[in-house]
Amino acid sequence: MTRGKSGIHSYANMGKDECKTMLDALNKVTACYRHLVSALGSTSDSQNLREELKKTRKKAQELAVANRTKLTALLKDKNTSTDDRAEYERLWVLFSSSMELLEVDMKRSLEIGQDFPLKVPTRHLIQTGMTGSTTTVAARAMSVQNMKYEGDANIDTTDLKELENEIEKVDQMMEEMEMKVQVAPWAVEAKQEAGAELKSTVSVGNSSVGVISICEEEPKETVEGETDLMKVFAGIIFTAVLLIAGILGYLVINL
Amino acid sequence: MTIISDRDHAQHYRPRMACLKKVEAIVVQMQHPTNGVKRSEQKLNITTIPHVMAGQDIIAWIVNHMKINNEEAQAFGTMLVAYGYIYPLQDHIRLVLKPDGSLYRFQTPYFWPVQKWRPEDTDYAIYLAKRNIRKKGILNVYEQEEYNKLHKWMNHKWDFIVMQAKEQYQAGKERKKPDRVVFDCQERAYWIVHRPPPQTHSAMDYGVDRHIDPNTEEKETCEYYRRIIIYTQQAVMRSKVKSSVSLGAFVKYMTTYKEHDPFLVPCLPSNPWQTDDDLYWELNVSNVDVPTKMRVERWSFSFFELLSDPRGRADFKIFLKKEFSGENLAFWEAAEEMKWDAASSMSEKAESIFKTFLTPGAPRWINIDGRTMGLTVKGLEHPHRYVLDAAQNHIFMLMKKDTFYRYLKSPVYKDVQKKAISPAPHTFTDVQLQQNSRNRRPSIHPIITWQQEQEEKAKAAAAAGPVDLKKLKEMTSKLDRK
Repeated sequence: MTRGKSGIHSYANMGKDECKTMLDALNKVTACYRHLVSALGSTSDSQNLREELKKTRKKAQELAVANRTKLTALLKDKNTSTDDRAEYERLWVLFSSSMELLEVDMKRSLEIGQDFPLKVPTRHLIQTGMTGSTTTVAARAMSVQNMKYEGDANIDTTDLKELENEIEKVDQMMEEMEMKVQVAPWAVEAKQEAGAELKSTVSVGNSSVGVISICEEEPKETVEGETDLMKVFAGIIFTAVLLIAGILGYLVINL
Repeated sequence: MTIISDRDHAQHYRPRMACLKKVEAIVVQMQHPTNGVKRSEQKLNITTIPHVMAGQDIIAWIVNHMKINNEEAQAFGTMLVAYGYIYPLQDHIRLVLKPDGSLYRFQTPYFWPVQKWRPEDTDYAIYLAKRNIRKKGILNVYEQEEYNKLHKWMNHKWDFIVMQAKEQYQAGKERKKPDRVVFDCQERAYWIVHRPPPQTHSAMDYGVDRHIDPNTEEKETCEYYRRIIIYTQQAVMRSKVKSSVSLGAFVKYMTTYKEHDPFLVPCLPSNPWQTDDDLYWELNVSNVDVPTKMRVERWSFSFFELLSDPRGRADFKIFLKKEFSGENLAFWEAAEEMKWDAASSMSEKAESIFKTFLTPGAPRWINIDGRTMGLTVKGLEHPHRYVLDAAQNHIFMLMKKDTFYRYLKSPVYKDVQKKAISPAPHTFTDVQLQQNSRNRRPSIHPIITWQQEQEEKAKAAAAAGPVDLKKLKEMTSKLDRK
């Protein structure tokens, strides 16, 4: 078929796009997992947090296995062009770096979880100043609107055993990865240049900048209240416009 | 492959940091709701963030809990801050515990220092990228430098770093505002401890990595016991010295070198590492005209000291020239050169030394006993690095027992002693010290000093050459007459 070649290309592109979306998802879950682990042992620790950690971890595992099978299949294929191969190697480096971060975070969460059990009579959680819950972060990781908590009361101890097993599984997976796929990570060239993170986050928003400038000890006036004000202002304008439109319509109809 | 902490293929381990676990126990005790440190709240315009402590309260608690006095408590508290278990909210770069109302907060256990987990460069790069986003591209100077460095050598991971930084930033925004502030402060404090800003000192500095994992117990296999057996056998075979004798030697060494140890006595004029003023090094350069008094005194301690100091050796050479017995030292120096020289030059060196020093009737014939001479001549047929060792030692002992003491009583030495300078100690104020640290400049490149040395050596060789020929002519004429 004359369309065979383009067919293969489109299949390869589809493979690339699939990989990219899956990697993005894995990336998001890794970032959220790190945020959750940093709250372990502090005053924002709770049974909910342990459950969130467990769920996020499981999701990360699924994504990791899916990514790995897809990428190993793509990389083992001998018929890919050099450009494609370079792209797959880049994706592979992304994947393995994500996995490294995840592995370290899982091991740390095991250690901290063992050091700070929740079911003891006198809990000595470190008073770090964080008091809010991490539900929103976990919801972001799981890509759901609201988190549902169905864990039992002993989740902190039962989960740790599972965590150990999972860490072993991840270890094995990483070793297999290193053996099977011959990718030289240092040979990969990154597509982003220095400062690339500034480009797509132009819409940072004023709220976080304002609050955190206090942390920097610069005696700037907080712009923290402004976003709320702005929202209220926008609401007022909107209702005013609606009212005017209603009045004009009424007048038009009457006249 | 990529280096992961547990499967570290480079096999470098951090040394044991035993204090960390003990400090953690104390930090947990500080959390006690009634017996722990007194806590208050931090008011930031609209939000209030709880769990804030004043420096004086922390010190009071430590004094109470550990039953120590105020100064020790302050030192201990500073250690807590320096390791990163507590971080200051104001003046976050100087990690000290101030005994006043300045505010501190506890660090979350994820950011505690742990011996097993070293802070990775990937994480630091992600942190810098996040900070870049937050500060809209304007980082501190040293942070910008680190960022560029990391971008250069971690380039293959840079996509990942950017992606992760953006994701972590977005995930962070999901939390409530006070928690966001606290998290940013925590992260910043963590990286100040583990990547200290310039001209600050990190408490986590630990020197060289270990080659074996200090946390694993060594398996007691056959090989292990074999090693122990060999070690103890060799220990038994070592020659033993009476403890009274060896202790006497220690005492003698310590009394002689007491004033010359820079740890015990401050070196004059000032320690360059502490005051950033390198006058001490300038005065003690190897080819200086007027040496310092301490240096000259050191030459009188032992012959080895005199020879190992290049200025002392030059002085000794002048003395020997006056006595016309320079061949001993020349032979000793030639043997030293042969020891340290390249392997390819062994045979030529051996030949030249033989011709100059050892053949009967040589221009600079040395006087060593028959047995050593026989051994050396036989060895020179198959020359190697240490073939002149026996002769060199013999000459060394000759010089030490005879010429050295004459040197110490000679006018040459007394002259040098009189001329030697004793620099006055520096007294720098704080302002001057800061100025000194700003005016630090690199010194002469070692290549240039090496080139200068080579030139001087060439000049000395050229100067010595014609004299040899003259002497040779004299000796040959003497022999002819005989």
